[in-house]
Amino acid sequence: MSTDPVQFMSHHTAVEYKVPAPSLLSVHFGQELARARIIGHRCPQCSKVYMPPRGYCPLCVVETTEADEVEVSTDGTVTTFSVITPLQYQGQKETEDYVQGTILLDGADTTIMVMRMDGIPISDMRMGMRVRAVWPPEAKRPDSATASVNRGMGLGDAVERWEPTGEPDLTREQIAEHIL
Amino acid sequence: MAERCAVVGVGMTKMSKCRDDVSMAGLVREAARRALDDAEMTWADVEAVVIGTAPDIFEGVMMPELYLADALGAAGKPIMRVHTAGSVGGSTAVVATHLIESQVHTRVLTVAFEKQSEGDTNFAFSSGRSGGVGAGGYFAPHIRAYIERSGAPAYVGPMVAVKDRKNAMKNPYAHLQIPDISIEMVMESPFVWDPIHRLESCPTSDGACAMVLTNEAGGKRAGKAPAWVHGTAVRTELGWFPGRDPVNPRGGQDCAADVYRQAGITDPRQDFDVVECYVPFSWYEPMWMENLGFAEVGSGWKLTESGATSMEGDIPVNCSGGVLSSNPIGASGMLRFAEAAQQVRGLAGEHQIDGARRALGHAYGGAAQYFSMWVVGAEAP
Amino acid sequence: MRDVAIVSFAQAPLEQPEGQTETLMLLPTITEALAAVGMTRRDVEFTCSGSADYLTGGTFTFVQMLEAAGAWPPISESHVEMDGAWALYEAWVRLQHGDVDVALVFASGRASLGASLRETLTFQLDPYYLAPIGADYVSLAALQAQAVLEHTGKTEEDLARIVVERRRDADGSPNSAVPGDATADELLKSDYVVAPLREHDIGPPVDGAAAIVLVAGDRAREVCAQPAWIAGIDHRADPHYPGVRDLTVSRSARQAGENAGVGRGGVEVAELSAVCTPEELVLADALGLGDDVAINPSGGALVANPVMVTGLARIGEAAEHVFGGGSRALGHASSGPCLQQNLVCVLEGRS
Repeated sequence: MSTDPVQFMSHHTAVEYKVPAPSLLSVHFGQELARARIIGHRCPQCSKVYMPPRGYCPLCVVETTEADEVEVSTDGTVTTFSVITPLQYQGQKETEDYVQGTILLDGADTTIMVMRMDGIPISDMRMGMRVRAVWPPEAKRPDSATASVNRGMGLGDAVERWEPTGEPDLTREQIAEHIL
Repeated sequence: MAERCAVVGVGMTKMSKCRDDVSMAGLVREAARRALDDAEMTWADVEAVVIGTAPDIFEGVMMPELYLADALGAAGKPIMRVHTAGSVGGSTAVVATHLIESQVHTRVLTVAFEKQSEGDTNFAFSSGRSGGVGAGGYFAPHIRAYIERSGAPAYVGPMVAVKDRKNAMKNPYAHLQIPDISIEMVMESPFVWDPIHRLESCPTSDGACAMVLTNEAGGKRAGKAPAWVHGTAVRTELGWFPGRDPVNPRGGQDCAADVYRQAGITDPRQDFDVVECYVPFSWYEPMWMENLGFAEVGSGWKLTESGATSMEGDIPVNCSGGVLSSNPIGASGMLRFAEAAQQVRGLAGEHQIDGARRALGHAYGGAAQYFSMWVVGAEAP
Repeated sequence: MRDVAIVSFAQAPLEQPEGQTETLMLLPTITEALAAVGMTRRDVEFTCSGSADYLTGGTFTFVQMLEAAGAWPPISESHVEMDGAWALYEAWVRLQHGDVDVALVFASGRASLGASLRETLTFQLDPYYLAPIGADYVSLAALQAQAVLEHTGKTEEDLARIVVERRRDADGSPNSAVPGDATADELLKSDYVVAPLREHDIGPPVDGAAAIVLVAGDRAREVCAQPAWIAGIDHRADPHYPGVRDLTVSRSARQAGENAGVGRGGVEVAELSAVCTPEELVLADALGLGDDVAINPSGGALVANPVMVTGLARIGEAAEHVFGGGSRALGHASSGPCLQQNLVCVLEGRS
């Protein structure tokens, strides 16, 4: 038996929370992703296109509805990125380095944060690169209702991977306003 | 208008990866006790307590002002807890200042802390979900954008990392003490979130900071030189919207403009003698120098490169070692505010800038969207 | 002290669309509170809010609510990880400076997402001595209840009658989570949750959002016919550990009430954040409320407990009394085990 003074005790507690039920808009967005369509909402006041659509424009603070729905391209530009070396913690599943990218899809005014840019070698990544979303085969597209939880500020696992379109990169000035 | 507010006592704990010698209550009490001693006051002199800390999940205690009320002598007094993400240490001091300036109280104890060793910060940042990238992973793309936009040489960030850790050698409370740190060492350390090298990143720390604030009469009566508050400001902006600039956020610019106007600052580089600003990743020094008006947009890195922000330069930044050397998240903002106060009180010890009369304390948080700042001076405003 | 008034109050109804987000529950609530006094978000000069991460298990969850507040261009804003009543206190302090006149205060919370509030609030307790024994808020309230019943000579039936009255008063309210027609006999038939408390003795935790607009000085009269002037506001804390306190009294509520000036003219209405029935008895005693005071005409927290919003809503309901022509009312908020912290806000109408 140790006679050292006790300095730390483990006090592990577990609390369960419910994941909020996805909103109807979130489910609809997911259903469209499963059909290989990316939709956004255009604010009726400022005309900015929000993708993913939130159901409101945070700048004008007005709600947006189906009447404001527009389609957004699967092509876009990498406006910035980071190479992540995953930190290990309870719940972490990543172990290898990967690229986290910020992408402005054509037709959207907001960027998406892509947590893992599969399909493009890390050493090829550049700011300004033109990329295209590649969908999984229809049978493998995630169920819209459950996938919404993990989509966050992006498209989650609805997109299988990204590939360069081969077009010339956008310039620094062209992407300057879309770092985020 | 407002009553004048004076900082008459400052206390901080030794910051380290793991303060296994104290509980959370012991940690905050250590800082509070030191602040009271510095103010030559006792617990009974305190009328109200304002405490700040970042997410409760960092320690696993919800609304810790309830549990800590006793340790802070708050029974029979008002105690409230501010939470504005990483800027919380600063905004807590701002709320405490308001209690004095509004004449609701004449003596306020303000404390900010974090005891990250009691939880798992990475788990907390990611809410337990896979793929969490922490704060660094969030800011890294913005830093990349700054480097790209400004054309800054790659060694500038590492210069900040070296400067701040060398400064920390002169601060007995600072967490990181790396006597042989060099630019080569920093640039050879692995990338965690490219382009941020490991040694360009703040540590995870346990620590607490406390201040005693009084009204003008209290400031005049104080045994040691007080620091006088010349202005306070807070600003918040949305973290995500079309066209947002996270590299040079307008919220930071507006917050600075507000506090400068209150304090009569027209040329920050000339008017301030020393700056304590919230730099958790090295490149934030040049970025904040621009955001705060010390340098033209795109030129902040030149201040660092020229040595202007070193202790020998004309605008020393983070003589305490800053967030890069100690980061108990909830306390870090208050540490900046407190270190600024210590400079103008002449009580910053080995990292004192001689003759410092006016200082800026700065904190930020969230998606570079929460800002809190104060200007303190050796003379009453 | 500068005169500050509550000029409007709005609260989200309990019934919300399926999958409604907290932000979308809050957004129209804020719009409504501002519109009631002819204002938009552009008129707000200081914003302060209250919420708590632990309700939903998130981290930095209050950041999302900025989208309901309209934080662009950048705003002067702060937040407390407490009931919105303390955000109102901070806003009142800020308005004392004289440089700004209009403040927006809001609070929100989704208690429905936690497995149980009893589990969640156990995290509020001392992690060495209280949390590990699983002392949840209902069990602690039950300890207080036993002490109160013994001390006052009141019975479980008296507690049930309080509930009957609250439910009846709240019948038809969009913010009541319980039916309005219970009788004491029916209620007393159910089993104890923790003796002597039964389910009806505990306000059901619900999701909620509320907003209040504060205006200082003469501007308040320009936007509101009957501003609810803050005649006094104060908050105090007791020691954390229920074991070192006399649970039949609330020293901090008494102190806060005295400092807020409840006694300087009495009140017609008292909206108390009693989330368990015995708390009403303790608070009524601490605040010196006689039989002539109408307690919780809104139903109070016993008909619904929108955690983190409850106290702010009590102050809002007290303001409603003044908007409707009443002279004096008080709103109360509490935090922590067995009413550890108490905030009292006294409102008055002036001609």
